[in-house]
Amino acid sequence: MNIELTDLTRKFGRTPAVAGVTMTAGAGVLGLLGPNGAGKTSLLRMLATVMPPSSGRIRLLDRDPGDSAQRREIRRRLGYVPQNLGYYPGFTVVEFIEYFALLKEMPAADIPRAVAAAVERVGLGDKARAKLRTLSGGMLRRVGIAQAIVNEPELLFLDEPTAGLDPEHRMMFRSLLRDLGQRATVVVSTHLVEDVGAACARVALMDRGRIVFQGTPDELTDRGEGSTAAGDAPLERGYSAVLAQARS
Amino acid sequence: MNDEEGRVDLDRVWAGVAAQVWRRTPGSVERTAGRLLRSPGLARALVTTPSLLLGWVAASAVVLAAGILATRGTGTPYVAFVAPAVAAAGIAYSYGPGIDDAWELSCSMAVSNRMVLLVRALAVFGLNTVLGLAASAASGVALTVTFGWLVPMTAMCALALAVATLARSASVGAAAGVAGWIITILARQETAGRLTAAVTDSMLTLPYLAVAAAGAAVVLFATRTSRGTS
Repeated sequence: MNIELTDLTRKFGRTPAVAGVTMTAGAGVLGLLGPNGAGKTSLLRMLATVMPPSSGRIRLLDRDPGDSAQRREIRRRLGYVPQNLGYYPGFTVVEFIEYFALLKEMPAADIPRAVAAAVERVGLGDKARAKLRTLSGGMLRRVGIAQAIVNEPELLFLDEPTAGLDPEHRMMFRSLLRDLGQRATVVVSTHLVEDVGAACARVALMDRGRIVFQGTPDELTDRGEGSTAAGDAPLERGYSAVLAQARS
Repeated sequence: MNDEEGRVDLDRVWAGVAAQVWRRTPGSVERTAGRLLRSPGLARALVTTPSLLLGWVAASAVVLAAGILATRGTGTPYVAFVAPAVAAAGIAYSYGPGIDDAWELSCSMAVSNRMVLLVRALAVFGLNTVLGLAASAASGVALTVTFGWLVPMTAMCALALAVATLARSASVGAAAGVAGWIITILARQETAGRLTAAVTDSMLTLPYLAVAAAGAAVVLFATRTSRGTS
């Protein structure tokens, strides 16, 4: 398993953002659903090794991120798109992606081709030399995705990656996710239930720091059948039904 | 030749072409830094330091030049007062959550942000030391004053970096460093009766070093990996 979490907890002061999550994940795309404040971003930050857990155990790629040498090895094989990515306005698209490829310690000789491939995969070939300050929000989001995949990561963590993408690029992104999920473990946090239905083989639903559902999108859909839970689509009704049950 | 062998992967070919067209050639400073640091990533991080960019360095040189003119005109060693303030501002703007728009992303990189911070801070400190010494030499002040600001400069740089890191704001850090230095100068003038006391009194060496050590400790603590971005 590429991800093994055991009783993982993260507290801010006395408030638990993540409360005793136990989960495993292998290759494939895992959709992380949940309402605002459910703990999705905190969980992704711990997975991306930028925030330590308050307690519990994480193993990534069979390594311990608490150990600095092993953490470095994990980070070489990791891609991450935070919710608020942040950009260097004076960098071009290629410079930005190349910078993070260098910080991921990719072999220097491999970087130009890897950067070019990443730029093309997110459909930004015509903007490769454009300064980031000139790009739209959706294009910047795609730059963020490109830097995450430039090292062909074995672990890919994406926090609201489709926010700001137009329908065409959202579909392109889902296709990219399915492709990446063939080899890597991809965890996508999203509010958009349709993204999960279209791109994720598995789904985990978080509420108040806990995982309240794990299964396939079809299984989540089944949970909504026959219920009076709110939702325009079957998957949304499953989502609402599970949340209602978890809170009852 | 069958169909499979004859098929050309156009995506792969295009990626190769695009890689050549878009390839960025590192400058001589970046190449040298890469060899010295044994890390192209660290070298790239170094040459993109805001307070090592040409505009910033030129502005620092202008401020020190003004100090030289003031020193020559009045006999008061203004260079010794200006150099620590300029360095403190430069250090505050070298790296950290306050100036790195992509700080959270940087925290997930194999090249640790603490190493980037260390390399950038040392480079900024070194450059400002050279600029300050050159300005001191050009202003023709006594040797004790020429070197007297080096220790307080270390202290103010550490203070500025510590505050910038804790406050997650380079501006706040720079303000703290500059304000700390002005307060020190004025306080020593008040107690010793000389404007130059802050850079000439050897009894201040230990307190300055203590401030420098405390600032460095705060930075190390605040950037330890377990803190993450929370």
